[in-house]
Amino acid sequence: SRADQERMLHLSTTLYVGNLSFYTTEEQLYELFGRAGDVKKIVMGLDKFKKTPCGFCFVEYFTRDDAEMCMRFINGTRLDDRIVRTDWDAGFVEGRQYGRG
Amino acid sequence: KRRRTDAVEIEDRLESLIIRVGEKSTSSLESNLEGLASVLEADINNYKGKILKILSDCAVKMPEKTTIYTTLVGLLNAKNYNFGGEFVDMMARKLKEAVKACMWKTARYVLRFFADLVNCHVISTNSLLQLLHTFLDTARDDNSPQVRSDTYVYAVLSCLPWVGRELYEKKEQDLERLLKHIEIYVRKRSRKHMPGLRVWRSDRPHPQEEYLDCLWAQICKLRSDNWQEKHIARPYVAFDSILCEALQHNIPQITLPPHHSDNTYTFPWVVFRLFDYTDCPEGPVLPGAHSIERYLIEEHLHNIIKEYHLERKQCAAVLLDFPLKHKIPLEYMIVEVVMAELFHLPVPRYLEICYGSLLIELCKLQPATMPQVLAQAVELLFDRIDTMNVCCFDRFVNWFAYHLSNFQFKWSWDDWLEAAQLDPMHPRAKFIIEVLLKAMRLSYRQRIAEVVPEQFDCFVPLKPEPVYKFSIDTADADLPGLDTAQRLESVVRAKGSTAEVLQVLAELPNPLRENEDSEPTHNPLQIQVFVQTLLHLGSKSFSHAFAGISKFLKVFESTVGNNEEGQLIVLREMHDVWSTHQQMVVMLCDKFLRTQIVSCATMANWIFSKEMTSEFTKNYIWEILHGTIRKMNKHVAKLQREVNEARERRTGNESDDSSSDDEEQRPRPSEEEIERMEEKLETAQADQKNLFLIIFQRFIMILSEHLVRCDTDGRDFNTHWYRWTIGRLHQIFMMHNTQVERYSQTLSTLLFTQDLEPHILDAFNQFVALRS
Repeated sequence: SRADQERMLHLSTTLYVGNLSFYTTEEQLYELFGRAGDVKKIVMGLDKFKKTPCGFCFVEYFTRDDAEMCMRFINGTRLDDRIVRTDWDAGFVEGRQYGRG
Repeated sequence: KRRRTDAVEIEDRLESLIIRVGEKSTSSLESNLEGLASVLEADINNYKGKILKILSDCAVKMPEKTTIYTTLVGLLNAKNYNFGGEFVDMMARKLKEAVKACMWKTARYVLRFFADLVNCHVISTNSLLQLLHTFLDTARDDNSPQVRSDTYVYAVLSCLPWVGRELYEKKEQDLERLLKHIEIYVRKRSRKHMPGLRVWRSDRPHPQEEYLDCLWAQICKLRSDNWQEKHIARPYVAFDSILCEALQHNIPQITLPPHHSDNTYTFPWVVFRLFDYTDCPEGPVLPGAHSIERYLIEEHLHNIIKEYHLERKQCAAVLLDFPLKHKIPLEYMIVEVVMAELFHLPVPRYLEICYGSLLIELCKLQPATMPQVLAQAVELLFDRIDTMNVCCFDRFVNWFAYHLSNFQFKWSWDDWLEAAQLDPMHPRAKFIIEVLLKAMRLSYRQRIAEVVPEQFDCFVPLKPEPVYKFSIDTADADLPGLDTAQRLESVVRAKGSTAEVLQVLAELPNPLRENEDSEPTHNPLQIQVFVQTLLHLGSKSFSHAFAGISKFLKVFESTVGNNEEGQLIVLREMHDVWSTHQQMVVMLCDKFLRTQIVSCATMANWIFSKEMTSEFTKNYIWEILHGTIRKMNKHVAKLQREVNEARERRTGNESDDSSSDDEEQRPRPSEEEIERMEEKLETAQADQKNLFLIIFQRFIMILSEHLVRCDTDGRDFNTHWYRWTIGRLHQIFMMHNTQVERYSQTLSTLLFTQDLEPHILDAFNQFVALRS
């Protein structure tokens, strides 16, 4: 339900990161996002058919505090000359890494 | 019910009026204050408690508006003497609570508020002087550490810009006596802690002054200017005729709590100086290092950062909208203050990226001036990097690479060409090398190679590529393990199980086996083949490598286990595969620690091992070591928290019969459970202590070895290598000072003994001095 979704977002340690370049690698993301706190996992968004990066990813932190730091200090700054957008995500589920391409 | 909501509404309205007074408005501050005082006067009878609370909160939470609130209190006191008295009592209680709870900033602001209330005729001069002397008396207490009296003396000094002139006019002799006391104290203080807290070892071009010394010099300068200062706006001057009629109160007697070993005091610091007036030739003049304006403006800017640090855009806007922006070179002062926080020792107040993102916002908001001032700051930092503290060097590298990545790596690299001629260990060369490495992590190699001048080709990192020892194309045909590695590769590619992998590895002979009777603890060849092949197959990305490691954890368990030699082989082979990819090495080390394939102690030993000599002064090695210590510390802190919580739950329940729903859900832990948790904590603490002992022992060994060798060869010991290494030793003490502190006693009896080489012992002594 909507309320559950809201609660999940409030507890979440995962961020959806958008507006990335298709050439941005997982390694660059670890370097940048690691500056806000300890990153637990990064899942690259992939094109459904070609299975190549397609401009988004999920970044999961170990703690909520670190994820909040990321929202404050990394959201809206640049990586590969593009303004990175971060948003709360209810948590990565297998299958969601496939974008529309 | 109706009446209650009305009351709440009025209270909210009063709160908003009080909080917002002094903000930008169409009418003058004086008329706003006069109006507000009348409103509050009318409501005092009905809402006294609320008004007192709001005012006393504003007094400590908005120090930049001190004089506005003191004026307001002054006006209220003139209208209602009893209210003034109650306010003074309330503030005195606040002060008592603050000094008891070691909330030194609050204490300092209450004292400053009292001082300014003297200007508003709310408090008698004598009672303020008495309180200041009470604070200064802590200097005579021989049984407490210097940081305690420093904290109190600093509070006294920092209120003098507000009340100095008034005391000078009304009580000159008393003021002189007070200053004499301070002078005697300042002269005799120890400064042992100072070298460890300096951003630069050198005093050129700017002296690096300890905070109390600096403020004392600024106060002396203020005194020689007859206590005239130009920064503080004093709205009460306009109300002099009203205020001078009012009766004054005495501050209630305050006894300061004695020192207790659990007390924490303000950590000393060294004032960061980057610019002087010659650096900002255009526009208004930068106040000198000893002018009181410099202190007041800096404090105000630091407070703005504190207030808004979580909202970088707003923070940048408020900083750039500084009240006296036309009278000072604001951009320079902002950059100096932000850099002071970034380079603050032992650790910055906030995340480094907090400052990095703030500087980006400042550049975006003020594109005509900010980027130039920031570039000038970088030039000066680079010019002075030879004597920069290693902690600050790292932060400088990390910030600069990050900043460049936000501005397309545009930089006047040509200005730094001469660095290409320097010894690669020279701080300037090293700075460029490390910046490019970090920049590459945020971008990619080709781009960095294109962005820098060709003279810097020597600095551009190698292309990160894995080297697989058992590659069929490059390996010698008779390389031991080659066939097995090929078989292992196909088994893993075919999604083989742990058992199948172990089966393949089992065919390898053990080079350590000397005869049939003895069973070696591990098989180095097995570990080599396994680690090399696994990392080779997972070389596509971090995720691939991590997935491989997680999948075959059991293989690590059975081939390596708790064997330190085996763990060292894992690290060695990993480094051989990825020697050109520092970030991969850092990430894999982290993974090995988290999965407990490698212990923290082994990691430390590996970093100090012979085969890592060539890497020893590179930043990524220290990223690994600090990451290792941090992981250990976090682990101990977590167990400590769990024990504390469990103990609280247990005792808390006994005293309180009415258990809430929450407690019913979490059954109260038994004595045995707590004991088990405590045992776990003790084991972790023993590991932590052991880790620090290993690290410090290895430092002492390599440094002593270097000093002895230089001595026998008749060479100067003070080489680049030596300075980096001793700097790294300092860094361990600084970055992890709260944790190291716990083992201070052990360290001084086991390792840092009096017969140790003075240069090495010094690092330890500086650390101890931070709290003494």
